[in-house]
Amino acid sequence: MGMRAYIIRRLLLLIPTIIGVTLLIFSVVQVLSPEQRAALYITSEQQADDIEAIIEKYHLRDPVYIQYFVWITQVLQGNLGYNVKSPSGRVLQNIINRAPATIELTIIAAPVIILSGIALGVTSAVHRDKLIDHVTRVTSIIGWSFPSFWLGILLLAIFYAALGWVGPGRLNPDASVFIITPPFTRYTKLNTIDGLLNGQLWITVDALKHLILPVASLTVQSIALIVRVMRSSMLEALTKGYIVSARAKGLGQKEVINKHARRNALIPVVTLAGMLSAGLLTGVVITETIFSIPGLGSYAAHMALPPPDIAGVLGFTLFTGVLFVIVNLIVDVAYAYIDPRIRLG
Amino acid sequence: MKAKSESPTIKELKFVITRIKKSPLSIAGIAIIGFFVAIALLAPILARVPEGQDNPYRLPRSGWFSEPQPPSPEHLFGTAQWQYDIYYGCIWGTRTAFRIGIIVVAGNLIIGLLVGTLGGYYGGIIDELLMRGTDIVWAFPGLLLAMAFVTVMGPSLDSIVLALILVGWPSYARVIRSEIFRVKQEDYVEAAKAVGCSDFRVITKHILINAIYPIVIMASLDTGAIVLSAAALSFLGLGPPPGYADWGQMISLSRGFIYKNAQDPLGYWFTWTYPGVFIFTFVLGWNLLGDAFRDILDPTLRRR
Amino acid sequence: MEKTIESGDLLDVKDLYVNFYTYAGVVEAIDGVSLLLKQGETLGLVGETGCGKSVTSLSIIVLVPPPGTIEKGDILLNAGDKAINLLKQNDRTLMNIRGKDISMVFQDPRGALNPVYTVTQQVGEALLLHRREEMCKRVLQNLERDIPEANTLKRFIYNCEKKIYEKMMNKPKSPSLRTLSKIPIINRYQGRLRNEIRKEVVELLRIMKIADPERVVDMYPHELSGGMAQRVVIAMALSCNPRLLLADEPTTNLDVTIQAQILLLIRELKEKMKSSILYVTHDLGVVAEICDRVAVMYAGNVVEVADTFTIFKKPSHPYTQDLLAAIPRPGKEFKSIRGEVPALISPPKGCRYHPRCSKAMPTCALVKPQVAEIEKGHLVMCHLYKR
Repeated sequence: MGMRAYIIRRLLLLIPTIIGVTLLIFSVVQVLSPEQRAALYITSEQQADDIEAIIEKYHLRDPVYIQYFVWITQVLQGNLGYNVKSPSGRVLQNIINRAPATIELTIIAAPVIILSGIALGVTSAVHRDKLIDHVTRVTSIIGWSFPSFWLGILLLAIFYAALGWVGPGRLNPDASVFIITPPFTRYTKLNTIDGLLNGQLWITVDALKHLILPVASLTVQSIALIVRVMRSSMLEALTKGYIVSARAKGLGQKEVINKHARRNALIPVVTLAGMLSAGLLTGVVITETIFSIPGLGSYAAHMALPPPDIAGVLGFTLFTGVLFVIVNLIVDVAYAYIDPRIRLG
Repeated sequence: MKAKSESPTIKELKFVITRIKKSPLSIAGIAIIGFFVAIALLAPILARVPEGQDNPYRLPRSGWFSEPQPPSPEHLFGTAQWQYDIYYGCIWGTRTAFRIGIIVVAGNLIIGLLVGTLGGYYGGIIDELLMRGTDIVWAFPGLLLAMAFVTVMGPSLDSIVLALILVGWPSYARVIRSEIFRVKQEDYVEAAKAVGCSDFRVITKHILINAIYPIVIMASLDTGAIVLSAAALSFLGLGPPPGYADWGQMISLSRGFIYKNAQDPLGYWFTWTYPGVFIFTFVLGWNLLGDAFRDILDPTLRRR
Repeated sequence: MEKTIESGDLLDVKDLYVNFYTYAGVVEAIDGVSLLLKQGETLGLVGETGCGKSVTSLSIIVLVPPPGTIEKGDILLNAGDKAINLLKQNDRTLMNIRGKDISMVFQDPRGALNPVYTVTQQVGEALLLHRREEMCKRVLQNLERDIPEANTLKRFIYNCEKKIYEKMMNKPKSPSLRTLSKIPIINRYQGRLRNEIRKEVVELLRIMKIADPERVVDMYPHELSGGMAQRVVIAMALSCNPRLLLADEPTTNLDVTIQAQILLLIRELKEKMKSSILYVTHDLGVVAEICDRVAVMYAGNVVEVADTFTIFKKPSHPYTQDLLAAIPRPGKEFKSIRGEVPALISPPKGCRYHPRCSKAMPTCALVKPQVAEIEKGHLVMCHLYKR
């Protein structure tokens, strides 16, 4: 079976999974009273005053299947409810507003995790039982055990409180003012890129400086995980018959490692990618909170803080659920690309 | 003529002990967990519950100041915001951590065993349905779904525990199911069925006994992750209220106290250092222990 | 002192000692093995599992896996006017020799193939390593043919490609080539080389008697049957016309019928390619089929060497005799060799076969026997025979 058939199959599977996701969220919501649930449907401050009308309009006392239908139609029209907590406003709008900060953080964190994890894992396996191997393994167990929120606090304590190098937030105070005054145009809302597009390099530099600590606290656990898995899968790949076969053809050890062993060793790591993106999505909640980055993660944390803003929390959960399902699809396709044996199944 | 040989169980045990002795990390793991078990057991002695207080998990307060006080003879680790005793919190927090870990893992195991065994043993429609259920829960990043659950249930320690169980059982179900698939094909299961064993007996006596190892490994490796997740949820304010003996909660209290002032920037270090060290070491111990279990119990990796 | 080799000989293994330093102790796997392989002959290396035959063939291309170490010995390869001692060469030279002068076929065909690469990619790898110039020349010939008939734009492109390929022929490792190959649209020039390689691989598979080679070249190893996979591995090994083929039990993992086909194939190739073959096996029947001479190994020693006919008709070493006697024949009483193969961590003193030998004498337990040539070309390592 070729790649195309496999992709189509996975895309078809996507639909029931997303439906399942909505069902799960829906059932969670049903635990609440109709008054609380009304928050998922209102679209403005005024509507909040007349709850009964909302309950009537969206059939919140009617049987479950009717409610589900009503809710889904609302969601598909983009109505995820209204945030009563600040930043108040329509949930979907808030999510869109807060997305860029999170995107900036994850776009930098993801390659850092993947590249350094793979490189360290390969090095560790190739130099097995030597010093670099022991050091890597010990640090990765420590990294895996470190609570990310504690790491964030420690990093802030050292680099902000004690050394005063860089503070929380996305930019310095003067830079923050600079980007909202014309003629600076925020094309992408990603400060690193906007800085370049506007020709103001110092904005980009400042943004990057402020990203170092959050990225560090976000990536440590994931890197530790990749290193461990990569190392063990690399060690296993190196015992396989095709390694000797390749050397018998006249390939050097380094070439064999890079061309043959690594590609096979990557396979179990790709299956991790799903777990890693889950880790990233979860990690941003804590990291953004600690470093005061106004992104989706801190939005979720803020909405969940008691007294909770139901629309916000559930809107966010639905959003990440769908996002995660799509990410998993991409991961599965990548997996099938790397390992041709999967396509037959 | 061979000498009289020892019973196989004794030999196994000796082998396990030798393997443990050879790996310093395993010893470290066992030592750390042992240390925490001791603390948890000795909590009433190490940190006396104040007179008249029936809930030992409430941190004693010695005043109403909001500013944390540095370590002193009365408060070994200092006080957190609103004068909660940090030392007391760390000691009794150990018990909380164990409670969370054990209950969540137990819950995960029970549900996972049920779902995994039914699906794995009977296969067919039952398996398909159960696996779809697993997939749906798995479609979410665990902690985020737990957040949604806790929000709806109202924040408290019990909500966290329940949410983590609801989010965690799929992995256990999957592992158990695949183990059962694997063991189901073995000949001794056929033999047992041929002799007339009931399904229940086959499952419990033959299959589960052999599927046990990966589950033990998984549970021990998972405990650390569970405690971390629970601490993260508490940190975000979704757990027990301030003043409860929970490490995550205590770090949450310290968030505003990272920077003191220009002369003494790290002046409030004790508010975030002590609880953090406790969490970190606890999780580290479990991870090392889990690794040790895996190295020792995984039959394919032994006797290299 | 410069070691020499006869012009009629291809490979001369002298006094090879290989030890494995394991957890449990030192395993003396190869205990002074000597072999002589003539040009164009097929030498069978026979012995039970664990006697060291695979280690011997791996030692020839110096690929003994750790914790194995080649302690001492010489492996002389006939390089035309002089002898090359393979154990004293650096990695670069060895890499040149492997796959080109000496190549190896392994026991588990699907294990020897990398599951994530197609047949073309894997067989082609050997071609790229050792026959690159030839392939580039072919591409250049094609370009010469295409250039006159092309329009201006294409002519420009072809001329660029011509320059690239000329560079590839002369300085394949140059940094400019390396950068060019990484740029997305530009590196399509590699397509021509890939096409040539693919054509060559199809030819090789055809020689291996694989049906429908055009389809097979694009397959992945898991899509191939055992027999086909082994043919691919053999194709890979023979792709660069090696002078010596090390065949390590290539048919052991295959069905008997497929085994017969592969043996037939090897016999035909032997005629065509004039390469020497070191055929490692535990199957005496196979030996009788295709080997010119046979070396019998036991517990790390070569105990007897002779041509096939002599080995079967006049086996001289007690082990060879016992081995032949143990072949089950209808009507005959089933005879097995008493005792077990020794653990080579603490091998028996003296002759390693003495604990199981029916003709053992007191000296056998104390002194290691010398190799005696009891008639021309017939060597035995046993106290029963004096020099």
